[in-house]
Amino acid sequence: MLKGFTTILLKELKELMRDPKILIGMIVLPLIMFPVLGLVLGYAVDTAQQEAQRATLLVVDNDGGNWSSIFVSYVNQTGMNLVLVNNSSPQEIVDQGLLTQSNSSTFIVIPTGFSANLTRHDSGDLTVTGTVNVYSVFNGGGGIFSGAGGSIAGLLVQGFNRAVAPDLIVTSQSSIIKGVIEEGVNASALSSLMLSQSFALPFTIMIMITYAMQIAATSVAMEKEEKTLETLLTTPVDRFAILMGKVSSTIIVAGAASITVLVGYTYMLGSLSLGVTSGLGSGVDLVALGLVPSASGYVLLGVSLFFTLLSALALAVVMSAFSENVRGAQALVGYIYPLIFIPALALIYLDFNSLPLALKAVFYAIPYSHPILASKAVVTGDYGTVIFGIVYVAVFTVVIMYIASRLFATEKILTAKLKIGRQRKQLKE
Amino acid sequence: MSFAVKASSITKQFGQITALADVSFSIKPGEIYGLIGPNGAGKTTTLRIVCTLIKPSSGTLTIFNQDVVKQPEKTRQNISYLPEESGAYPNLTGWEYLRFMAKLQSKSGTDVKEIVNEAATICGLGDRLKDRAKTYSKGMKRRLLVARALMTRPQLAVLDEPASGLDIMHAYHIREIIKRYVKEHGVTVLLSSHNMLEVEYLCDRVALINKGRLVLEGEPKELKVRYNGENLEEVFMRVVGYA
Repeated sequence: MLKGFTTILLKELKELMRDPKILIGMIVLPLIMFPVLGLVLGYAVDTAQQEAQRATLLVVDNDGGNWSSIFVSYVNQTGMNLVLVNNSSPQEIVDQGLLTQSNSSTFIVIPTGFSANLTRHDSGDLTVTGTVNVYSVFNGGGGIFSGAGGSIAGLLVQGFNRAVAPDLIVTSQSSIIKGVIEEGVNASALSSLMLSQSFALPFTIMIMITYAMQIAATSVAMEKEEKTLETLLTTPVDRFAILMGKVSSTIIVAGAASITVLVGYTYMLGSLSLGVTSGLGSGVDLVALGLVPSASGYVLLGVSLFFTLLSALALAVVMSAFSENVRGAQALVGYIYPLIFIPALALIYLDFNSLPLALKAVFYAIPYSHPILASKAVVTGDYGTVIFGIVYVAVFTVVIMYIASRLFATEKILTAKLKIGRQRKQLKE
Repeated sequence: MSFAVKASSITKQFGQITALADVSFSIKPGEIYGLIGPNGAGKTTTLRIVCTLIKPSSGTLTIFNQDVVKQPEKTRQNISYLPEESGAYPNLTGWEYLRFMAKLQSKSGTDVKEIVNEAATICGLGDRLKDRAKTYSKGMKRRLLVARALMTRPQLAVLDEPASGLDIMHAYHIREIIKRYVKEHGVTVLLSSHNMLEVEYLCDRVALINKGRLVLEGEPKELKVRYNGENLEEVFMRVVGYA
């Protein structure tokens, strides 16, 4: 054994484990974050399952023949809630709002000639099959449960083929995007694609906010540690000017960061195309489907990002006022990280629109959810959600800035210290 | 008589802890006044109250007849503060730091360039002012900061441990700066130190603080005679009962 190794090892472990930054970042944070994330996802899965059990399937019978009746009877036997409509085109179903009325996100169209084709197949012409057309609403949420309706319809057809006649029916999947039918575009595959690309922005936002908070906290804490803040506070300068000068410089950095993220994100979406959804093998890109934000969508997303960063920076400034030094400030800011990580990670997997109200309220209350919600909302043109988020985060920022200005105006900026588990004021002498 | 600083029955509580208890003293214009005492005696708390950083729990303190609690903004126009062991912004050069502080500290209409040149003369750092502060030694940094504190010729300069922890060369330079500048420009100085020999050399009058109370005040010579001590260190130890 190396001489002194154990002694040094024990000392190092003591130092590391007593450092709140390491304790929070490596032990406490994962212990809190992942169970909470698991609870959120579990709750969402339960809710989705309950929704699926209550789901209604709309079947449009444009054939009216023998085989279409058999198919409808089969669907009825599975226990699914069924709404039957006769002689309507897919676009009429969408335009008349029948999906909303029947609380459904998917409908199956049995086309004219369906029974005739199956009769020919039954008579020995195996080259002929019956086709049912499945239309699923694509809401742009990109969650793991998106496109579930289309999958259920697909499973029904598979079940029918197994129970009644092998390979008798094939399905053709199409999407309803913003009220417009996109023939041949599989909503499930589109959701998978959106899910795969939806990782990029939340991760970037997560990194950007945490990094910006560290910079702002370090900036104030360094002023305290080096006592340059004490010097500044004794100059004949308005204390609010000191605070605003500090925050404004980080606003400029935040603005630049928002623009950089948007430029990269725009390029990524613009270059993304999908070639697997069409049964005919033709490529479908997101720009053509209108699943890329418009110019005003990008502006709103930028504003949302900017205000979120601003609120994070203001909060970091306030929190660092309670620390004695840079390490302390970084540790304090670490407490905020779960509020950044959990919404970012959860909203990658979850379709916000399908979440229960209570969970929605929790996500709405967390300011750092909003740019992630905005990134999805601008795709579907849901600008109301984005604007609400911007207003909410702006109000939150104003409140935090007010608290910060009060701190700077009093001696608390020098004397207040927050300790883990207790709050106490200390004096130097 | 008009005083540069007049503290009357200053008390400061931090929660349950009494940092200062009923402290009273006065400083004449142009005087170098030293607060001496051990660590934790209440020196920095007193200086912070003088500089409007914290408010006294009770008592009054005026600087050139301005109440520091009621008129903090006006007070700040006439003072300059050097905190103990303070630093400069590491990524600014010496020149940039002085220019930045001169803009904040100077009154409108004054020539910032002139003030900065004055600071450059005071600190004597020459071409090193072009370098970033993070490359300075502790002594150089302190010289820069003392120059910053004096460059605007404030009515009252408050210096917390101005030469603490410096080598003999830099400590000597800083003491000389303070002594010379006061004589030349009539600046009043309130400084704190736990180096009693330094205080004895610099100060016209001193106050001994122990456990938040002002236990003795007077001219160093007079105190040495009164307590039969060779230096202020011995005087202090006798006053607090250790010798």
